Amino acid sequence: MTVKVYALSTCPYCRMTRKYLDENNVQYDVTEVDLLEGDEKAAAIDEVRTVSGGTSFPVVIVGDEVVVGFNKKRIMELLGL
Amino acid sequence: MSDETRAIRRRFVPGTTADDLKAYMAPFVATLGYKFNTEQDFVDEVLASELEILEATGDVYCPCRVRTGDPKEDFKIICPCIPFHNEQFAAMRKCWCGLFILEDVEDGAELLGVIDEPEPGAAVDVPVCRIDDLPRGQVRHVKVGKSDIALARVGDEFFALSNVCLHAFGPLSEGVLEGYEVMCPWHGWRYDVRTGGTDHPNADVKTYPVVVRDGLVFVSVTVR
Repeated sequence: MTVKVYALSTCPYCRMTRKYLDENNVQYDVTEVDLLEGDEKAAAIDEVRTVSGGTSFPVVIVGDEVVVGFNKKRIMELLGL
Repeated sequence: MSDETRAIRRRFVPGTTADDLKAYMAPFVATLGYKFNTEQDFVDEVLASELEILEATGDVYCPCRVRTGDPKEDFKIICPCIPFHNEQFAAMRKCWCGLFILEDVEDGAELLGVIDEPEPGAAVDVPVCRIDDLPRGQVRHVKVGKSDIALARVGDEFFALSNVCLHAFGPLSEGVLEGYEVMCPWHGWRYDVRTGGTDHPNADVKTYPVVVRDGLVFVSVTVR
């Protein structure tokens, strides 16, 4: 199952989420949206809007499921942890 | 007030510290029914992020939301951003980051992490002001979610009704309150603040339940 994380470099919940995934040895791709520039940044923001309906972080995509915020319980369920 | 404090209140200056931010934000969020999270370490972490953002951008944007580059959008995430998201935050009992929590939340740690956005149809009491911030016999505008509301105080009773007069869409919150009647500032149409009723046919306005507790006035709304 692919896991994708959209994060901000400044966001405490993003750090918590990544720490949690790291601690559980989950492989994931991460995009730190605020560190992108120009078109790349705009495209990432569009993508976050499309999948989550907003521009709040973190956004964790597990397979087809989208989790907004550091919702440990939901992430655990989706990853079977 | 020292010159330094004045400078901070006017505009953030180089060398602004977390304590400066706290001193400026605490009295402001108190007018909205919020306080800093009880988890000090978490507060320090969020404020440290905000100071980095301040350094990079010139203002204290929310560390958990992204600046889109559109100024009309981005000013709504300058911390504290409670006024622009008050319905959602009241339902979550905290701001998005959890830097601020509703005044009556005793343990802010319980609210960290999970973000439950309210479902449409959910009822939520949104704090709009402190009792003492609206004098008797006065009416003022408050924004709750997307709704423009006139909040009126008659004696020690509070009433909330749509801010928009149905005659020519005048702002009732700028009208004069006489007893239980507010008079529209544009053409003098009168509305009973208790019922939203007027003598003009089919022109009654919507009212909202108001709850007063712990020195705060809450307007009850249904999340749209």
